[in-house]
Amino acid sequence: MMFDRRLVQYFDWGLLILTLSVLGIGLVALYSAVTAGTPTLQKSLYFKQLIWYFAGLVMMVFSFVFNYKTLDRWAPVIYIGCICLLIGVLLFGKYVGGSKRWLSFGSVSIQPSELVKIAVILILARYYARHANDRGLTLRELFTPLFLTVLPFFLIVRQPDLGTAMLVLLIAGSITVFVKIERRSFIYLLTAGSVSVPLVWFLLKGYQKQRILTFLDPDRDPLGAGYHIIQSKIAIGSGMIFGKGFLKGTQNALSFLPEHHTDFIFSVLAEEWGFAGSLFTLLVFLILIIWGLSVAHGCRDPFGIILSVGITAMIFWQVFINIGMVMGLMPVVGVPLPFISYGGSSVVSLMICIGILMNISMRRFMFE
Amino acid sequence: MKPSEKKYIRIRIFLVGLMFSIFLALIGTKAVYLQVFCGSWLSERASNQYERSFACRGKRGSIYDSNQREVAVSIDVTSIAAYPKNVKDVPSTAKSLAKSLKIDPGQLTKKLTAKRSFVWIKRHVTPNEAKEVRVLKLPGIDFLPEHKRFYPMKTLFAQVVGFSGMDGRGLEGIEFYYDSYLKGADYQLTVLKDALGRGFGVEKSWDADYSGNNLVLTIDRAIQYIAEKSLEKAVLEYSAKSGMAVVMSPKKGAVLALAHFPFFNPNSLRDFRPEVWRNRSITDPFEPGSTMKIFLAAAALESGGCTSNTIFFCENGAYRIGRNTVHDTHSHGWLSLQQIVKYSSNIGAVKVTEKIGPEVLYETLHDFGFGLKTGIDCPGETTGSVSHYRRWSKIDTGAIAFGQGVSVSAIQLITAACAIANDGILMKPYIVQAISDPNGRLIKSFAPCKVRRVVSEQTAKTVRRIMTTVISSGGTGEKAALEGYSVCGKTGTAQKTDPNGGYARGKYVASFIGFAPEDHPELAILVLIDEPRKNHFGGIVAAPAFREIAHETLHYMNINPRQGGERLTVSRGGKARG
Repeated sequence: MMFDRRLVQYFDWGLLILTLSVLGIGLVALYSAVTAGTPTLQKSLYFKQLIWYFAGLVMMVFSFVFNYKTLDRWAPVIYIGCICLLIGVLLFGKYVGGSKRWLSFGSVSIQPSELVKIAVILILARYYARHANDRGLTLRELFTPLFLTVLPFFLIVRQPDLGTAMLVLLIAGSITVFVKIERRSFIYLLTAGSVSVPLVWFLLKGYQKQRILTFLDPDRDPLGAGYHIIQSKIAIGSGMIFGKGFLKGTQNALSFLPEHHTDFIFSVLAEEWGFAGSLFTLLVFLILIIWGLSVAHGCRDPFGIILSVGITAMIFWQVFINIGMVMGLMPVVGVPLPFISYGGSSVVSLMICIGILMNISMRRFMFE
Repeated sequence: MKPSEKKYIRIRIFLVGLMFSIFLALIGTKAVYLQVFCGSWLSERASNQYERSFACRGKRGSIYDSNQREVAVSIDVTSIAAYPKNVKDVPSTAKSLAKSLKIDPGQLTKKLTAKRSFVWIKRHVTPNEAKEVRVLKLPGIDFLPEHKRFYPMKTLFAQVVGFSGMDGRGLEGIEFYYDSYLKGADYQLTVLKDALGRGFGVEKSWDADYSGNNLVLTIDRAIQYIAEKSLEKAVLEYSAKSGMAVVMSPKKGAVLALAHFPFFNPNSLRDFRPEVWRNRSITDPFEPGSTMKIFLAAAALESGGCTSNTIFFCENGAYRIGRNTVHDTHSHGWLSLQQIVKYSSNIGAVKVTEKIGPEVLYETLHDFGFGLKTGIDCPGETTGSVSHYRRWSKIDTGAIAFGQGVSVSAIQLITAACAIANDGILMKPYIVQAISDPNGRLIKSFAPCKVRRVVSEQTAKTVRRIMTTVISSGGTGEKAALEGYSVCGKTGTAQKTDPNGGYARGKYVASFIGFAPEDHPELAILVLIDEPRKNHFGGIVAAPAFREIAHETLHYMNINPRQGGERLTVSRGGKARG
């Protein structure tokens, strides 16, 4: 492949700046979360996250230097590789807090379920790019993507990590709806879905049922299951319009907030920076999501379009579910806030996604 | 891709974008609701859970002696408490606390599982104990600053100053009487608490605004020490049950020393029997015995038409009144009023009373303050008891004349004696001379307070002169004589009553009251020895202690001996007469 000067000319600087802004917000929020009032142990997390950010940037560059169309070819390999990792997790994974989500490679642990999200997007993009048509996908055509989605879904449910599993379903569902389903098939699916919801209730574990009941009525058990969400709402609300100030969040510093450096980091941010801070963060995410869709808009090849919509949908759902959860709009599910929550696998896989978006964006001029 | 298909895709992308934006707008709305509309309510909820208020008490004021030496001080100590609800692991918490604080783990478990929001684990722990527990970082265990009362002079002053309890309230003595001044103010201390109930910012220094006021006593540590030492010696020497010694400034009514034996140490209160905690010189009445004869003499001189040379027949040692017989230790014939006092003749005293009548005696005793509280600033003062003269039988009248059948407190007795020393003016005794605020500014000072004139200056002078004869050769109080000073005094040997109303055999109160120097008394001293066993005469048991206290105190106070001047006067008088 010859070096094309237009690659530099078309480089998506806007996306880079947006990504760096979100990372900046992440650095500030994480600093608050690990510094104020907590044992020194957590301070090392901050430096670990800096290393992950750096690794993520490297992976991002790595993800845009080659032409994304090669991913079309590699998608099955990546998908199978990720499925193998998931099986590996179930076999050799280490238990952390009651579930097996991690694979250790020496001193580094990774969470394959984060990478699986990309693999599912890739494999579905490859499939739909070949099968999408004006009339919409029929049930028979949907069988393969359904299998490709449900396989990792169940592997992740087995860990158990319901949040990420649901996320895989949501991402796959979004992509599928985006590429259009034939009307009759859509109605069938919808009916089947609504019938299966009560069945799912019986499959849920006790603590998961508890979370859903708590979501419906947080004050049901304020010191037990409802504690996290009540404390999170107090943190967010007590930030008021302009916040308590950097490192001045009492809910955070006095350990009222649970998981304040991972799932509940938005509460830390909202407490210290107030409504102004939460609005700013939401706006940056909104622009990032719209930017991702505009990449899809500018792309002329179906694989690229579906891939960028899938990636954008993944970022959107994580933002929506995470912030919705900490604000009490949703049950408590363990979904990290993209780029901001502490977690290496999440950051790196998201940066790979951003790299792929950049890849698609900078090659939009290339014709087949 | 066909152009129509392309356009169609664009529309779908737009729809996806619209849907995502609506969803995020939903979150934005929730943020507005939480942070803008519920903001203040949720802020309050936040502060409610991280702020915890404690009822605190400011530091108790200090007590100083007359030379600003600390007698009672409050020191900062730490107390360990628990919030049982926040204690995570009761068995291990109890175990580690039990080890560090040396308390029974069973008892601790009981406390830690109590259905209360707050329990004390151990109050007033040592700095080492506090440090040891602090490093354990146990959830639900808290450290609260408190104050502990400390008495640097230990046994000295103990009964006078009293003591205060664990919660900073005065319970006995001056600590109790002046509690409203000494106690620190109650206030609410707000501290930050984390989710585990651990406190933040508690250990800030105490605000002086909440501290109590300080007291300055009239008592001087040095004089108190002299009094206690001499008293102890006398009590031990004569195997007595207990003893008291009071030193007072006759001109002011200020108490300079108030000693009680046996001693107790308020820093380790529980090691002593509660009966020794009492300020007995104020609270306990006793029959004074012959020391009362000085007031009888005053009554006789002031309103009985007698002079010191008026003579009475003393019946040679036995005098029958109704069914009772009054005895003298030595038999006497005719004695002058002065000699009656000097030899302490009971029959003489009865004869004097017969001459002046019970009303005069009663009124005079009353004027000297017997049967009334002196109003000294100590708790639990007794009035003593002097029944009205109309109810006196013949034997009562006789007995009262030599100090039996009446009861007085030590403070009443010395206050009355001070009136004689102070040229006939009764002063109110007091023990606190000033109160200052925590910053040391004076807020109240107590000036000497005149109660009334009891007898004329002349009468007082005559009584004093009579009292010097007690000390002179042949008098009952010879052993109280001081080299270089002329001393006034009177011995007392009272029989103690038994619970059945009669007099107990062999149980005496030996006492000595006196002042020095004669012409301008600076000191009045009362020594009282309860139930001495080896000897019971006031002149033998109590007089030497008086002598020792007077001698050392006069030196300490830099009161010069006037022996030269005194002798000169006498010799000149002699020449004039001759």
